[in-house]
Amino acid sequence: MGQETGRTILSLQGINKSFGPIDVLHDISLEVKAGEVLCLLGDNGAGKSTVIRLLSGVHQPTSGQMVMDGKPVLFRNPREAADHGIATVHQFGGTFPLMSIGRSFFVGREPTRWFGPLKLYDRKKANEIAVKAVQNFGITRIDDGDRLVGGLSGGERQALAIARAVHFGARVLILDEPTAALGVKQATHVLRIVNEAKKRGLAVIFITHQVMHAMAVGDHFAVLIRGAVAADFRKGERTREQITDLMAGGETMADLEAQIETYMDSHDGHPPQAVSA
Amino acid sequence: MNRNTSLGGLLRRPEAGACLGLVAVLVFFGIFGGLTFLQPAGMASWMNVAANLGVIAIPVGLLMIAGELDISVGAMVPFGAMTVAVISGHFGLSIWLGIAVTLAFGVMVGLLNGYLVIRTAVPSLIVTLGSLFAVQGVVLGLTVMITKSTSVALKVQGPAKAIFGDFVFSGQMQVMVLWWLLIAAAYVYFVHFSRFGNWIFAMGGDKVSARNAGIPTERMTILLFVFSSTSAAFVGMCQAILYNSAQVAGGQSFIFNAIISVVVGGVLLTGGFGSIIGIFFGTITFAIVNQGIYYTNFDRNWSSLIIGVLLLCAVLMNNTFRKMALSYAPKKGAK
Amino acid sequence: MKLMTTLIKATAAMALMATAASAANIAVIGGSNDDAFWNKIKKGLDDATPGVVANGGSVNYLRLQNYDNFAPDVVQLIRTAISQKVDGLVIPDWVPEAEDPAIKDALAAGITVILMNAGGADKAHELGAINYVGNEEYPAGVAGGEYFAKHGQKHVLCVNTLPGAANTEARCKGVLDAMTKAGFNSEELPLPTTSFGDPTAVAEAIKATLIKDGTIDGVITISAGDADAAATGIQQGDKVKTVALASFDMNEAGLARIKDGTQSFSIDQQPYLQGYLSVALLASAIDFGTSLPTFPVLTGPGIVDSANIDATLAGVKKGAR
Repeated sequence: MGQETGRTILSLQGINKSFGPIDVLHDISLEVKAGEVLCLLGDNGAGKSTVIRLLSGVHQPTSGQMVMDGKPVLFRNPREAADHGIATVHQFGGTFPLMSIGRSFFVGREPTRWFGPLKLYDRKKANEIAVKAVQNFGITRIDDGDRLVGGLSGGERQALAIARAVHFGARVLILDEPTAALGVKQATHVLRIVNEAKKRGLAVIFITHQVMHAMAVGDHFAVLIRGAVAADFRKGERTREQITDLMAGGETMADLEAQIETYMDSHDGHPPQAVSA
Repeated sequence: MNRNTSLGGLLRRPEAGACLGLVAVLVFFGIFGGLTFLQPAGMASWMNVAANLGVIAIPVGLLMIAGELDISVGAMVPFGAMTVAVISGHFGLSIWLGIAVTLAFGVMVGLLNGYLVIRTAVPSLIVTLGSLFAVQGVVLGLTVMITKSTSVALKVQGPAKAIFGDFVFSGQMQVMVLWWLLIAAAYVYFVHFSRFGNWIFAMGGDKVSARNAGIPTERMTILLFVFSSTSAAFVGMCQAILYNSAQVAGGQSFIFNAIISVVVGGVLLTGGFGSIIGIFFGTITFAIVNQGIYYTNFDRNWSSLIIGVLLLCAVLMNNTFRKMALSYAPKKGAK
Repeated sequence: MKLMTTLIKATAAMALMATAASAANIAVIGGSNDDAFWNKIKKGLDDATPGVVANGGSVNYLRLQNYDNFAPDVVQLIRTAISQKVDGLVIPDWVPEAEDPAIKDALAAGITVILMNAGGADKAHELGAINYVGNEEYPAGVAGGEYFAKHGQKHVLCVNTLPGAANTEARCKGVLDAMTKAGFNSEELPLPTTSFGDPTAVAEAIKATLIKDGTIDGVITISAGDADAAATGIQQGDKVKTVALASFDMNEAGLARIKDGTQSFSIDQQPYLQGYLSVALLASAIDFGTSLPTFPVLTGPGIVDSANIDATLAGVKKGAR
């Protein structure tokens, strides 16, 4: 996979999407490369989820083109997107909380073995592979494939879902707010796993509104505002403050911070007290 | 894999609560009902009830695991009984024809239920509530139109009687008990040892993710509805052959009895969790609670209360075990 | 097609009424054509009709098309009868709250009224109907208890699959009271709702009770269908020789058991008589001023046992039983 690194796998070219009279996305152009993490940033309602749904085949673009490996593609349903190696992992892992790790890992692709005339689900094999795949992502705490997914921590569930996608040959990994519901430690776990996926040559699309998390793993950033790409830049080209401002939809946040800073400068570094101006 | 034989491993299985619940009611009625309750005649008493209920409860439970519900079974029981009674009793045609047509109708209603559920966004509770009333109406209307009566007699002899509606083992146990064991074994393979079982659990856990994972959820849903309505028609048919008679009314108690057995058996009402063995134990538990009272000296007027309280205890026990299952992790050196 | 024949029949009846002003023109209100029970009542009134016609009168059966809009439909039929200026009205008082005002209007219009099948003697007195022809549950139970007592049963079980319902409780209470009066033992076995409609649960409950209490020598069920289950329960408990089975109401399978000796008797409310007697009584009261001192006229309980099973089966063939 290593030799793929840097090659564009999937690109969106001038994508528009409208639901009836409402235009949700205008002229979106993005590309993801193998072994890179594209961070898709934006406030709530900026159109991030719609982009994911187009990529994963839930919706189809109104106009514009999706290109994969240089060829135009159209995903009519999630199945087709999956067949092209696009895997989406949702906030809560998209797994089945009351199923065992092994069974959940292999849903729809169960390994079987023959027992006389009967074809049996191979629990042992499924558990072994699942546990190994998750441990490869650094989650060594999981060592029993019979445990229920619901008993895992949020970070472990993300790891399981990502490991599953990688195991079944995903080339583009879409992570939808994987750290949103997690504490600091769990989030760090997930970010480490994202890096691991990147190292394996996957193209990762990382959706978040937490700038810190994005900056920790991102190679390439795109900020969506009201359905359009407001900024598209590479790692190191913008500061955290600049990105936060962009996401907030303008200069308001920078203004506010500037005001606070001037205030602190003139008041010996004390933040403003709760008094009327 | 010795971990699975440890106590913790056993307790987190879905049937653990159901199994302990069964032991509890056995002890309860063993104490208050005495030995007759546990002797062959007494045992046959609750096994027969459990078998008739169990053949329906397992597919109903599977649907619940898959996140669906089928309450039309309540109408399919009299429907099955009446179909075979009208064909082979009223018209005097071959019993084998009656059996074939009854089962074919069962499959048809299941196909219809399943198709309506996947094609419309209407919850299966509502769809099957509709078919419950519709089938009841068809049974009453057609029976009265054809036979001018609401009760039809049926006399079956020979192999059909022996296979579908007779007693075995010194004439106490209904042949339905054998059917039940056979069918339960087939379901255990289907659900827990073949890959299809995994699909059913995934469908109940999260239908959209299951479909995205490549599971043919629609075909599976239809198949499960066919299982439940055909099983209910089968039970009704066997009852008509056994009791030499079919009534238009009746069968509705199977709806709630089946759901209760399934829940007592550890299946989660919201789907995604449960086991066939659990449903099997849950059905026996229900049957014991329902019939055991006749071996005790309790005033019969209190039987519904006792049934209710014992079942509630069984369900609470299940909830406790499911929580344990979720929080269970091997204790040794987690690193 | 059905509507056409009904219309033709109705016009024919009205034409008859117009020509025979002096004799009794009677309207009978009843259940629909596809109700097997009501077809037996209709057979009774059809058989009584020639007598009425011979005296220059007529009988017109106003039936409910269906039971979907029950009370308003019945009231509408009563109004129809009043507007047809009939002399006599046979009416089941199913829904007293809805029907009573209309029945009072009929009486006020000078129509002679008999309550049939539903309503009871007290209601007939209250409204001013000349009689009530029908069944009462409690006496039916008493008849069952007396039959058991007379035929040597000393401990009878009344199996109630619908405990708490007024009519089934009255049936069992009748059995219990009659047995007690005869100095014997009897009890009710109320089954929980979880057993209703499951013949295996009913059969096993009966079997268990019989095994537990070996002195029980008679079982009576509140419906014919339950008796099918009870027969199996008795057989499973190995009690066929010691326990006599009986049922309220009857069905084909039950009659077959009476015929082959595995069931003792059934208690029938004899709907045929309700149709036959109500029409005959009403016509004779209107035409000839007769009055029957028997009040109410109970058409049941009619006992069907080995003594009259053959005649009963013949009646079934002709649609009268």
